[in-house]
Amino acid sequence: MTQQELHNWRLQHETQNKYLHYHTRRHFIKQSAMGLGALALGSMLGCGTNKTTTPATDNFFDPVNPLAPRPPMFPGKAKSVIYIHMAGAPSQLELFSYKPELAKLDGQDCPPSLLEGKKFAFIRGVPKMLGPQAAFRQHGQSGLWLSDNLPHLSTVVDDIALLQAVTTDQFNHAPAQLLMHSGSARQGRPSLGSWVTYGLGTENKNLPGFVVLTSGGNNPDTGKSVWGSGFLPSVYQGVQCRGEGDPVLFIKDPDGMSRDIRKASIDAINKINEEQYKEYNDPEILSRIAQYEMAYKMQISVPEVMNINDEPAYIHEMYGTQPGEARFANNVLLARKLVERGVRFVQLFDWGWDAHGDSPENAVDVGLINKCRAVDKPITALLLDLKQRGLLDETLVIWGSEFGRTPMMENREGKTMPFKGRDHHGAAFSMWMAGGGIKGGTTYGETDEIGYNITNGKTEAFDIQATILHQLGFDHEKFTYESQGRPFRLTDVGGKVIHDILS
Amino acid sequence: MIVLSIVDFIGRFHPVLVHLPIGILLVAVLFYFLSGQEKYKSVAPAISIALFIGMCSAIASSISGFLLSETAAYEEPLLSRHQWFGIATTVVAVAAWVLYSKQFRQFKGVMLLLSLLIIVTGHFGGSLTHGDDYLFASGDINEKPAIPQKLIPDVQQAVVYTDIIKPLLQAKCYSCHGTAKQKGKLRLDEPDYILRGGKNGKIFIAGNTGESELLQRIVLPHDNKEHMPPKEKPQLTKNEIALLHWWINTGASFTEKVTALPQPANIKSVLAALQSGKKNEEVAMSYIPEAEAEKADETAIKKLRERGVAITSVAQSSNYLAASFIAVDSITIKDVELLIPLSRQLIWLKLGNSNCTDAAMDLVGKLTGLTRLSLENTAITDSAFKQLKKLSRLQYLNVAGNTISAAGLEQLKDIKPLKNLYVYKTGVSADGFASLKKIFPQVLIDTGGYKVPVLSSDTTLVTSPK
Repeated sequence: MTQQELHNWRLQHETQNKYLHYHTRRHFIKQSAMGLGALALGSMLGCGTNKTTTPATDNFFDPVNPLAPRPPMFPGKAKSVIYIHMAGAPSQLELFSYKPELAKLDGQDCPPSLLEGKKFAFIRGVPKMLGPQAAFRQHGQSGLWLSDNLPHLSTVVDDIALLQAVTTDQFNHAPAQLLMHSGSARQGRPSLGSWVTYGLGTENKNLPGFVVLTSGGNNPDTGKSVWGSGFLPSVYQGVQCRGEGDPVLFIKDPDGMSRDIRKASIDAINKINEEQYKEYNDPEILSRIAQYEMAYKMQISVPEVMNINDEPAYIHEMYGTQPGEARFANNVLLARKLVERGVRFVQLFDWGWDAHGDSPENAVDVGLINKCRAVDKPITALLLDLKQRGLLDETLVIWGSEFGRTPMMENREGKTMPFKGRDHHGAAFSMWMAGGGIKGGTTYGETDEIGYNITNGKTEAFDIQATILHQLGFDHEKFTYESQGRPFRLTDVGGKVIHDILS
Repeated sequence: MIVLSIVDFIGRFHPVLVHLPIGILLVAVLFYFLSGQEKYKSVAPAISIALFIGMCSAIASSISGFLLSETAAYEEPLLSRHQWFGIATTVVAVAAWVLYSKQFRQFKGVMLLLSLLIIVTGHFGGSLTHGDDYLFASGDINEKPAIPQKLIPDVQQAVVYTDIIKPLLQAKCYSCHGTAKQKGKLRLDEPDYILRGGKNGKIFIAGNTGESELLQRIVLPHDNKEHMPPKEKPQLTKNEIALLHWWINTGASFTEKVTALPQPANIKSVLAALQSGKKNEEVAMSYIPEAEAEKADETAIKKLRERGVAITSVAQSSNYLAASFIAVDSITIKDVELLIPLSRQLIWLKLGNSNCTDAAMDLVGKLTGLTRLSLENTAITDSAFKQLKKLSRLQYLNVAGNTISAAGLEQLKDIKPLKNLYVYKTGVSADGFASLKKIFPQVLIDTGGYKVPVLSSDTTLVTSPK
């Protein structure tokens, strides 16, 4: 037996023994001989918990100053993140995934091989195939194929890295959104933005570190838990700001309360809290004091940064913004302003991409085109504006959704839909990333000739999360938080950094 | 494990205890033979006590050894051999002590037997713990650590084979196709052997990668039996495969320099990575100097934090610092002065969107470690560059939104590392930009002013299917 074999053999034996330890009476009695004595000794010596090692990341949380800037594990290329999520799942087949073969199959019955053992959200029986409802062209030096639905983004394809083989195992909006943003299809885990602000804090103490802006008339299907802080301290949850009216509800002092009185009352409350802290020593009380003070400062700083009226006219023209209205373009401009002021993570959600074909708004040849028109110009403007301000190289921009759509036409309850629509499809869809150390003009992953399944470069939510954390300077396998007796990761037990798209 | 049974616990003393009988009994044997000589006669009285203690320790080791064998995992035939030889040693040791006191005649034989047993038992014990190839195995018992590809100072002047291909083959192929082993009758450690190929004949055809077995087998799926290197061995990286591919495609020369060969764009970047080491993903950020700085002055950092400056090290393991004045309402000269004690550590500085003037730049000019400097939308003028030109390590400079001109920026021409220059919304004219392009041929100068055209489709809605 060589040393290597010996080693392996021992490992195996040890495993067996370990197993026996749990099961055999003989082992139990043998263990008890020393065990009970040891337990008694332990209590006599006053041993505490057996937790001897604390992960380095445990030191992150400073209750007095929970958002203070902190260094990443290794120098990250990106300092801040703008994550643009199209809630409802836009069709990759009308935007990024050029499938001429699918056009030939248009109107034909879906071959049974694609349906066997598959379960869809709405498709029943045998649906018809639906060819691409948009023309595609090659753009830029990289020659990426983009549809005519995105005429503006087509001009900056050399700045983006297209992920063509993203996949998810969820086919309903809420769990799929949760998986994308919190690494779990069920509620209760911290969102990406919470992890990032927990890890890095924020550069501007006068603003929240994690801001959420929604448009399209609705919050995402999964509700606010998609920017929740889960088991992380609550200070890391996303702060939702509104596009019209007061950016944050009740941010103004009520009539009759002057700034001085507000200050005096907060000081008084903090004093009481300090007394309380002396009595109970609970760090959450310090956290509360810090948050009162932060809120007081934010009463001034947040409305200031959230006001896009003082942006010059050419910027409004560039983004296509309309001050005073709740619309996606305004949110995108705000995202740039926030990142410029040192906000760590800006999360945008735009609702209304769920093109099932049940109404013109939800048709891939009507509503989808209108949605594209509302987002194409501002997103392109964002990339260019970040670039000219010298911010794109340290701001990671992610565009994506919770899943994609089927190459088949939806036939809800087996009936033909009034408009052209597609069903939910998690097996293959597209996302893109730009800035923050991402190599522009690249494509990663491929799908089959009708965009139904991926053929290589499989990319899961965990891989995207791992890549985002990597660009910010974190090893997603070591970046953990201790909860319920074990360390948790954003990427659970998965995730691979997509090195192919990194510069 | 917190709870350890007493039996296990005693058993674990075996590795300590076994050394006692070995030493003590061998000393007894030594003394016994020495005492025969006149000169060493005086050691004779020690023999009995040595035998007694040796015997006791032999019994103790036998017992502890038996308990250990019950609980821990050992290889079976070897274990029982060690066990029985151990017991025999103990028995003979006891016998030796008894016989010595009775002045047994053939005692010399007993002593020889005892030392022989000790040696044999000891050898079996050693094989049990260290593996039976321990004694005679050559130095490289463990898997050889992968040989890291060394950085090449000037990759264009490097010889392709010696400096790039050979180290690669050495790291990934030599262990089976080198001096020690020649699997498939293939050796890859010398040009002659490489050209000769293996048992299937030639392994590549220069200039024809499609017909080259070497490459074909490398790019096979990992679970294919023919795939090389075997799936449990370290695999070639994408860059390494690209390099091999390029080398064979360009004629597989053993003498040519890199510069003499055509370099497609993808190979250019791979070659550049060999020079800069950039492919080590974790430290890809070139904005950080390679040599580590000493620890920064904590009180200086604290003072800055009190003023609201966001200052941290650039990574947990680094002493280099990044500072941002983003949350400081109105920056005074005194605030900037606080940075001076940190001039060795500070490499990234954000002073943008503030009221900073040229006076503050007198101080910033002293922060010579800076690699990134953001000064957008401040109150600086062209005269600031008189100070800023001292920042010889600067790679990123953002002076967007300032009233400055090309003439001012020209003063930075001696900053060799400069890579990115942001001059959006400055006084730099079109002519000025043209002259800057000439002065800074390597620098990406971004004048901004991008326009996103207004298309009629941006504001109209589709109502019916097209």
